[in-house]
Amino acid sequence: MPSLPTTDERSAALTAFAQTRSGREKPGRYWKIDLETLVPEASADGTAGSVAIENASPRAIAVDLKSAAREHAELFARAFRAAIEPQHKFAHLALAHAGLGAFIYVPADCALDEPIVVRYRAAANEAIFPYTVVLAERGARVTVIERLELGPEAFVCGVAEIVTDAGADVTYASAQFAPENARVLFTRAARPGRDARVAWANAELGAGLSVSDVAVTIAQPGVDANIATLFFPTGTQHVDVVSNIEHRVGDATSDTLVKSAASGRGQGRFVGNIRIAANAQHSDAALRDDALLLSEGAHIDSVPALEIAANDVKAYHGATVGALDQDSIFYMTSRGIERAQAERMIALGFFEPAIDRFPTEALREELRTALQAKVAP
Amino acid sequence: MSELGLRIAGLHCSVEGNEILKGIDLTVEPGKVHALMGPNGSGKSTLALSLAGHPHYDVTAGTATLDGEDLLALAPDKRARAGLFLSFQYPAAIPGVKVPNFLYAARQAVRPGELTPAKFRALLLEKMDVLGMDPSFLGRYLNDGFSGGEKKRLEMLQLAVLAPKYAIMDETDSGLDVDALKDVGNTVKALRASDEGRPTGFLIITHYPRILQYITPDVVHVMIDGRIVKTGGPDLAQRVEREGYDTLREESGALA
Repeated sequence: MPSLPTTDERSAALTAFAQTRSGREKPGRYWKIDLETLVPEASADGTAGSVAIENASPRAIAVDLKSAAREHAELFARAFRAAIEPQHKFAHLALAHAGLGAFIYVPADCALDEPIVVRYRAAANEAIFPYTVVLAERGARVTVIERLELGPEAFVCGVAEIVTDAGADVTYASAQFAPENARVLFTRAARPGRDARVAWANAELGAGLSVSDVAVTIAQPGVDANIATLFFPTGTQHVDVVSNIEHRVGDATSDTLVKSAASGRGQGRFVGNIRIAANAQHSDAALRDDALLLSEGAHIDSVPALEIAANDVKAYHGATVGALDQDSIFYMTSRGIERAQAERMIALGFFEPAIDRFPTEALREELRTALQAKVAP
Repeated sequence: MSELGLRIAGLHCSVEGNEILKGIDLTVEPGKVHALMGPNGSGKSTLALSLAGHPHYDVTAGTATLDGEDLLALAPDKRARAGLFLSFQYPAAIPGVKVPNFLYAARQAVRPGELTPAKFRALLLEKMDVLGMDPSFLGRYLNDGFSGGEKKRLEMLQLAVLAPKYAIMDETDSGLDVDALKDVGNTVKALRASDEGRPTGFLIITHYPRILQYITPDVVHVMIDGRIVKTGGPDLAQRVEREGYDTLREESGALA
């Protein structure tokens, strides 16, 4: 029964981390960072950093990871490590140092209207390994918002896992505006139950390097899986996002939406994987990915990867990469709007379909403000 | 003031090195409606877009002034703030930018600080009601997923909300049904007897005389091959309706 890893398990996880390829061996032309050789300055006992959890519901359990492993051992064991996969290189590293984290449990048929907010904090130069586990039982509904508050030069290697029973509905949003010399790596994996809905919404706006793996494994029919990511490297920021939707059984839908922009010498890459297994008939998968290049030194690689082994499925893929549309700018300026303002409005509008997938108007406004600052620094 | 008017003199314009306009002279006075007719490819839209300042259109000779101000020296946004409006034949769709936010930004740019957001919203709803537009337009993105008719109605809403000194309407009538044409006519009529500022002067570009049943022009021009070949009263539009452009083309010798 998995509890927090033992000493032996931790050293095994470190070995697995060293041996697992990140899947990022062929970075884009402009990609200067070799993630295979990334060596974290780890505090191996996982004591660095802190977590604060806001939960208004007496029916849900929302506690730190160590308390969960101790006091809710059976519930915790149902979800911990149940969604991540062996190929998730950085999840091995997070496991090796697991200790900081949050466990959220929503019992059957409990629908929470207020989001549960999890805030991880790291001081300057600290390395933290936050691990969030969400377990939603049959028919439960919950929204989780994860935030990072980091000091300069902080290093984060975290995991978020969602495990649900049938008919649950979980939205998990994360938005990081970390300092530009921080590094943030996250693995997010979900395993929804039959007829359940899971939605990831991730905004990677801060940090000098952010690496994001987002995955949903569809192993039950009727699942509705959603991934929405927005990122916007400016200055010298690097962002690398890989999404994985795996249709292992049929009669399920997935929708992946990625909106990205880059300016300055910002570099980004998005790899969108959709796999539909041979027996996953009547799958319905959509992947939409649009990238906006706002300066000559900026670059975004966009790599859709659809592997479809079944023959009776719907699979949609659409992608665009380009600069701001000149006719759109002319149209807006012809109404008296200054060119800079027109460009700002068009660039912000570009992100709006992804912003729409985030919970709470307050968070959406925060995203708009942060994006606006990136468009017009 | 003798300088009042949208005054175009000797205007030549090229697109990618091809001369499209070969010397246009035309003056639209405040409150007057000029119709500019002509067959496809005669240069009507080029005139509209070059006056609005589209970067692909190179004005190679001539002048264009708005109440004495040199339009050609201004960037497109400054031309709009000087009082020029172009109703686009093909308005751009801009996802993510909501209709009321765009209209408020435009109104603030053209008439700074005149209206609070609340008063602006009231004005917007009033104008939308006149144009028979559903309030659900306010929740939509700018021209995104709009039908051709909806786009044209939104152009008319912008015209009504911005109340410019001079408006160029580039084939606003194309693809509109009779009800929509009436709404266009009413919008123009209302702005000629403007309640905001002063009466708007119109340059109505059209391929067909149909729209002129709803807007009576003061002056009608016929453009063929980048030149205005004939100018007259409303009867000129009737002649075009009867005879088409061929006899006018032959008279002008533009065919040669």
